[in-house]
Amino acid sequence: MTDRRTWLIVLLTLVVLATMPSIPAAAQTRFVFANESPYDTMDPHAAFDVGRVAVRLNLYDGLYRWLDNPPKLEPWLAESHTVSPDGLTYTFKLRRGAKFHDGAEITAEDVRYSAERILALKKGAAALLATMLAPGATRALDRYTVQFTLLKPSAIFLAVVPEVHVVNAALLKKNEKDNDWGAAWLTSNDAGSGSYMLTRYDPAVGFIAKRFAGHFMPWGPKYIDEIEFRLVKEDNTRVLGMIKGDYQGTGGYLPNDQVKRLREAPNVKIIEQESMRIMMFQVNNQRSPLTDVHVRRAISYAFDYDGFNKDILGGSVERNPVPIPNNLWGVPRDVKGYAYDLDKAKAELGKAAAKVDRPLTVGYLQGFSQTEQAATVMANGLRKIGIDTKLTSELWPAMVERMKKPETSPDLVVYWISTYYADPNNWIGEMFHSGQWGTFKASSFYKNPKVDELLDVALRSTDRKIREKAYQDAARIVVDDAAGVWIYNTKYFGPWAKNLEGIRFSPIGNGQEMRWVYYAK
Amino acid sequence: MKTVGFVLTRLARDRSALFGLVLIAALLVTALLAPILATHPEDVFELHPAERLRGPSAAHWLGTDRMGADVYSRLLFGARITILIGVIAVGASLMVGVPVGLVAGYYHGWLSDALMRVSDVFLAVPQVVLAIAIAQTLGPSLPNVILALSATYWPWFARVVYAETRALQKEVFVESTAALGASPWRLTVLHVLPNIASPIIVRASIGMGFTILTAAALGFLGLGPPPPTPEWGRTIAESREFLPDAWWYATAPGLAIFLTVMGFNLLGDGLRDVLDPRLRRARIARDD
Repeated sequence: MTDRRTWLIVLLTLVVLATMPSIPAAAQTRFVFANESPYDTMDPHAAFDVGRVAVRLNLYDGLYRWLDNPPKLEPWLAESHTVSPDGLTYTFKLRRGAKFHDGAEITAEDVRYSAERILALKKGAAALLATMLAPGATRALDRYTVQFTLLKPSAIFLAVVPEVHVVNAALLKKNEKDNDWGAAWLTSNDAGSGSYMLTRYDPAVGFIAKRFAGHFMPWGPKYIDEIEFRLVKEDNTRVLGMIKGDYQGTGGYLPNDQVKRLREAPNVKIIEQESMRIMMFQVNNQRSPLTDVHVRRAISYAFDYDGFNKDILGGSVERNPVPIPNNLWGVPRDVKGYAYDLDKAKAELGKAAAKVDRPLTVGYLQGFSQTEQAATVMANGLRKIGIDTKLTSELWPAMVERMKKPETSPDLVVYWISTYYADPNNWIGEMFHSGQWGTFKASSFYKNPKVDELLDVALRSTDRKIREKAYQDAARIVVDDAAGVWIYNTKYFGPWAKNLEGIRFSPIGNGQEMRWVYYAK
Repeated sequence: MKTVGFVLTRLARDRSALFGLVLIAALLVTALLAPILATHPEDVFELHPAERLRGPSAAHWLGTDRMGADVYSRLLFGARITILIGVIAVGASLMVGVPVGLVAGYYHGWLSDALMRVSDVFLAVPQVVLAIAIAQTLGPSLPNVILALSATYWPWFARVVYAETRALQKEVFVESTAALGASPWRLTVLHVLPNIASPIIVRASIGMGFTILTAAALGFLGLGPPPPTPEWGRTIAESREFLPDAWWYATAPGLAIFLTVMGFNLLGDGLRDVLDPRLRRARIARDD
């Protein structure tokens, strides 16, 4: 009997001990985001897309940061900057005392190293940055001053500066292997200074990060202690998870039917924002028979824009017939673009010199059922004008790999170009300048010296009038060439847990910067 | 070997097997006559976005899907894909599994061991898991689904044939044929194979149901033929987004898969009872 009682006491003590540490833990706040695509790397310089933006915004900092909507460029790691009169030299003054996660101070040398690293690794934002900045053209003038000398004056350099995410140079050098700039190591580690510190990473699942109390930007009175970004492949699973409360946020790319369901859920709110996100088919201009402008025009006439935008998406989007968002400057307002017209499509096919003698591959993204629906609508239209199709799908990172070369990219791929900086160059510039081949935005593999020239003019000049004219002219040519199929520009319908406050939506990052967010009581 | 007439008579007496046979016959008729039976045969490809997600009505007996296509018509054409996958996958598994089983069963030695160990390796991994791995690696398409299913189902036939061949080797007629100088080829194909046909047929029938279910699972996971193929598993996957409101969208292909798999399983069980005298006796005894 005594024996049994002793055991009971031991057991009770154990239970009490086991539950004790969880009492302070319960006060910790946690946030889970269900992402459509996997986090295949934690390297902030390896990706330049929305699918992996949470890594960059939460674990890393840049000199400047895009905030709010309409997006404003705010000083972040830098306190201020100056531009030389010839527009070639940008000098940034760094904030003093800003710390990396390991406690080391962020210096101008780290910024220099980061810029060089992007250019050397040739991934993510490198293709864009390389048009403005050469390797070796960044200098640390002193501990807190960094200077970039551009190849030519650029209207968008400052807009791209936030993408130069600053990594801990000393830490990366320690983990370098065969002069790889620490790329192998950083794939699954953290060398940042961001608001959150990586605690767990699994490429098949996602990442978990805890709050970095020592971040240079003062924290508000309320915040989330731990954030998790997790791959959840199916729209339906994400929606059910939001309704059940398993996830507190998910991407704003959901089909309209799902948004409707979420609106009815008691614990979910939909944050609606004007945004700039164009859905389009990239058409592989380098592969026969798509090399023929008439075949491309036929394809542009064969998509049922109204059926897709109004019926399938329930009118939650607005037709956008050119590769610049309607609500931005640079759009040639007189260009009507293409409408669904099978007779015109057939007439164009009749004019084509190239014969469409094989099925066209139409790529879409796994995990984004809207892209699958768009691909199906396209396949249906093409079938009616006698073109066979073969649908093919990949997860986003795998599709990005395929879109690097004209040989591996599908004939058509449907997805979105979101906002990475609010300038027409983010769309038409990066999509149709032949210098950008290899990035996912340029997977139409379009090459036209006239358009290249216009886009260069627009980038070199800082005069808005000249730039606007150049973008309008370039857009006219690209639309006439039917270099792609542009479907719509959309609003953002972001599902978030109802009790979340402080979500700071910006078209750049889609509100995934978690440092502002907290739970209302 | 029993004659076809004998088997059919026996089957007709087994009510559940007969039901299975009727289900399979219905499936075959559906698949064959799909263009005639379908109310909107063009909807295999055609879309009508304005009419999406309508409930069952006189115009659309089983409602419409997310693209406004007729669920009933697509269901009928889906039967063709289902049968195609089942027949080719099971057929290919037979072509591989039976010879492997015969060779491994007839010869004693390292070849026999090697063949059976290879099939053991395949059997050690659950079929669905292996099929998912193969289909994902090769990319989602109809031929790849069939390949994945064939590559993972043949060991079942190899196992059955191996065991039966080994058992038959002790039979007098096999030994005497061998003593007469028959070649191994002649012996196995002309004498052994016909005598082990029953278990193979039973296995094939059950395998059809099993394969169709796995194919639907692959389709559901997005590893099946790409859209707009009216494959049943894919249709269910598409429909999940619209549950519970558009209940008809998931129910129709779900029931179709259920009935088809049940049909093959009931028939397989019935065939086994008829063809395997030991089991038949057991069953008669139980029925009494």
